[in-house]
Amino acid sequence: MPSSRDQLELLQGTLDMLILKTLLFGPAHGHGIARHIQQTTREVLVVEHGSLYPALHRLERNGWIASRWQTPPGRARELKFYRLTAAGRRQLRTQESRWDALVRAIGRVMQPAPEV
Amino acid sequence: MRWPFRTSATPGDDEIRREIADHLELEAEDVARCGAGGNAEAAAAARRRFGNATFVAEDVRAVWRPTWIEQLAQDLRHGVRSLRRSPAYAVTATITLAFGIGASTAVFSLGDHVLDRPFPQLPEDELVWIVQRSPHECPTCDNASPAAFTALEERATTLSAVGAAQLWRASLNGHGDAPSDLVNGYRVTPNLFALAAAPFALGKGFPRDAGTPGRDGVVILSYDYWHGRFNGSRGVLDSTIMLDGAPRRVVGVLAKGLAFPEAVDVYTPLVLTAADANNHSSRYLDIFGHLAAGASVPQAQREAARISLQMASESPKSDAGWVLVPRPLNAFHNDDTVTLVRIFAVAVALVLLAACVSAANLSLARTSARRREMALRAALGGRRGRLARHLLTEALLVSLAGSALGVGFAAWGIHAASGIIPPAMARYSPGLAFVRVDGRALAFTLALCITVTLLFALAPVLRATRVPLSAVLAGGGRGSAGDLHGTRLRAVLVVVEVSVAIIVLSAAALLTRSARNMVNGDPGVRLDRVLTMQVSLPRGTSDSSARDFVSRLDAGFRSVPGVLAAGVVSTTPLSNNWWGTIFSVPGRPPRPNGSPLTANDQRITADYFRAMGIRILSGRGITAGDRADTTAQRVAVINHYMASHVWPNADPLGRTITIDSVPWTIVGVVADVHHGGLDEPLRNEIYRAAAQAPSTAMDLDVWTAGDPGAMRESVRLAVASVDPRAAVGDMMTMREMQARHISPFWLIADVVNTFAIIVVLIAVVGLYGVIAYGVAQRRRELAVRMALGASRRDIVSYVAGGAVRLTTVGVAIGAGGALAFARLLEAVLYGVPAGDPATLAMVAALLVTASVAAALIPCWRAARVHPAQSLSE
Repeated sequence: MPSSRDQLELLQGTLDMLILKTLLFGPAHGHGIARHIQQTTREVLVVEHGSLYPALHRLERNGWIASRWQTPPGRARELKFYRLTAAGRRQLRTQESRWDALVRAIGRVMQPAPEV
Repeated sequence: MRWPFRTSATPGDDEIRREIADHLELEAEDVARCGAGGNAEAAAAARRRFGNATFVAEDVRAVWRPTWIEQLAQDLRHGVRSLRRSPAYAVTATITLAFGIGASTAVFSLGDHVLDRPFPQLPEDELVWIVQRSPHECPTCDNASPAAFTALEERATTLSAVGAAQLWRASLNGHGDAPSDLVNGYRVTPNLFALAAAPFALGKGFPRDAGTPGRDGVVILSYDYWHGRFNGSRGVLDSTIMLDGAPRRVVGVLAKGLAFPEAVDVYTPLVLTAADANNHSSRYLDIFGHLAAGASVPQAQREAARISLQMASESPKSDAGWVLVPRPLNAFHNDDTVTLVRIFAVAVALVLLAACVSAANLSLARTSARRREMALRAALGGRRGRLARHLLTEALLVSLAGSALGVGFAAWGIHAASGIIPPAMARYSPGLAFVRVDGRALAFTLALCITVTLLFALAPVLRATRVPLSAVLAGGGRGSAGDLHGTRLRAVLVVVEVSVAIIVLSAAALLTRSARNMVNGDPGVRLDRVLTMQVSLPRGTSDSSARDFVSRLDAGFRSVPGVLAAGVVSTTPLSNNWWGTIFSVPGRPPRPNGSPLTANDQRITADYFRAMGIRILSGRGITAGDRADTTAQRVAVINHYMASHVWPNADPLGRTITIDSVPWTIVGVVADVHHGGLDEPLRNEIYRAAAQAPSTAMDLDVWTAGDPGAMRESVRLAVASVDPRAAVGDMMTMREMQARHISPFWLIADVVNTFAIIVVLIAVVGLYGVIAYGVAQRRRELAVRMALGASRRDIVSYVAGGAVRLTTVGVAIGAGGALAFARLLEAVLYGVPAGDPATLAMVAALLVTASVAAALIPCWRAARVHPAQSLSE
């Protein structure tokens, strides 16, 4: 695990996008989502697990994701699973394009292209 | 079957908790799989990574929390529940607020009407009342000359119309079996009702030409007189009634409750002849004006001042130095009423202050008592905002309940007030019947009380939720710094309550003593078994007929059974009427300030002094021998006050005074009579024989052997048998007359007494609260003291001493305020010095006693503290 100095705080509002993106690969429960985000970012991004849940519920309330209790293979009990809705896909596309625009814009400021 | 994924359904608390628990479990499994120690460590690591699970659950719930309305409903439910658990606080706070809001709203509404809106049915903002004053000769005069009226009518451009009125007294002649009736009336210019836009219940105002001689045979009735005398019959319109022997056609009845300019019975046209219009020197008219469109009162005043200067240069002899002053219509009421309202206003402001302080105190007490609960809830994850909102909702609930009750109190108080306002005052406050709860006053007091409640609920909330749990729990509820501060603040508030209590209580005591003094005091005339009435002969009765009437009346009453003595007088003492006359002493230069000598002009019959029990101090009284024939000497009897002021070093007997250029010889001096009541200073009084100075209007005072009230009919018949045209009115006993005179004083005393009870209760409750709380908080301290050998006596005096200390500080601070308030009361006090030390001492003793009583229960509790038990708690 990287030392806390190398860890990055999540940018405001990006957690929603990460959750939606994660759910693009299929339904998952809260812990699964947390683990996925952590592993894919190689633990650079710190997500306090607790903060995931208000975000999940907010997305659900907005109709971007849906939930149901189901028993995953190899488990005795039901867990709460979330999956992306059609509205959620659209939302993810909007957020992704906005994100790209933001990254490009910031990149141009930080590393300007050499003048011709 | 697989349930479909559902969307947007609010999860239950269980569901949220389970989801979080699952997460922690899965995470712990992951951690354990990585081999980082035992199960317990893994679970702890999972929890660390997760953060505060309670907060998260709360945040998740917050996501689903529907809207603020539901939140509010939830808070309200919570507030109601928690208030129901402490009914004592809820009831006390509610009632305290209700008193404060109710009393102040009612008094403000009344005061506003009496002071600012005496004629709610008229366009008051557009009307002015115009007085004519001279800084030297008559700085407080209210009436104006007919010439001034004419000048305003012709020249004023800021006034679109000018009208005038003159008070008069007439007799309404009997029709059928009804006896003659003495009525009070106004002669008004025909345009007056139109310019004031006065509403009519029946008919309309005077015709335009009613002011010309010969066309003035019309009359307008007041609503009350129409109901009293004509049973409210619509047939009265266009019928003819006889006023002072002349027929007049009824053209209208004024609307209910309208008493413009004052409450009288009838209105007749004022006829101003060309000669009248040129009268500069007698000022007897009430002048009213309607402001021209766009004109303001100051503009009208500037113009009236210009017109006054023109008049002064045109007729300097009569008008130099006199200024016409248009004033807002609300200036048209008497000063007594203003003093009353001012006293009420101060008293009620104090009640409001006490109520607010008390509400603050109760709020503080409640929060202090719940510090443990708050600290626990904060520690268990209750958000500060949420806790604060709970407490605020609670305070708000109490405020709203208090406000609702207060509005009820105000409405009831106003209703009660219009019932108990004595007629003598109501006459000067015609708007009284229309007083409603004033919206502005209500809004102000509501805002004030609610703000105070919330403020004092909120401040400690913030502190309480910031207090670390350990301090509160470890302290067993005992004094941390913040808590001590709260207690000290409460002590200060109680001191304020006690100071307010002593101010209002001492005012109440002074007013009650004064009213009692006025009842028991001796005004110098007989009060028991005397029947008094006004008697009036038709207008135009000659002097000789009036003389004849008086002498036959005098003779006739000597033979009425049950009558000990009956005398005629111009104005009966305590009747609030008097006739002024100017007199001079021959050979004496005018006074340096140029103002003439004046006296109350009493024209009496021989038996008047005997009937009223007025002692003759020297010389003789008026006798039947003081006749009008030319051979008889013109004689006068004066009162002791006049004798000692006009002839301080000499015997007035045998000296002469001049009235209207006629010399009158002083033949006697009688004891002083407080003609205007005990609250008024003595005045010069001149008694002359009614035969030598005849008049058509008089009072008749009858001293009876038995109950004077039972003699009404026989006295009325006796007057009618002397002359059936004589009208009798305002018949009442002297005791009733006295009660009418004193009633305003009782009214103030009663109201202030009620206020005093409220503020004393507030102070006692506040004191009890602080002492009881102190005892509860200091159980351990008391237990230690007892364990170290303090007796129960010591403990009781320790606790009671605290109560007495608080009260004493409050009394000391309040005494200054009490003296200041007493100075305002001075105007209505009789026989009690405003700064009466005895009253103040009595009131202070009463409050200290009350405070000891308030401390009794806490003392008893303190004495029952069981040392071993309390220390091991």
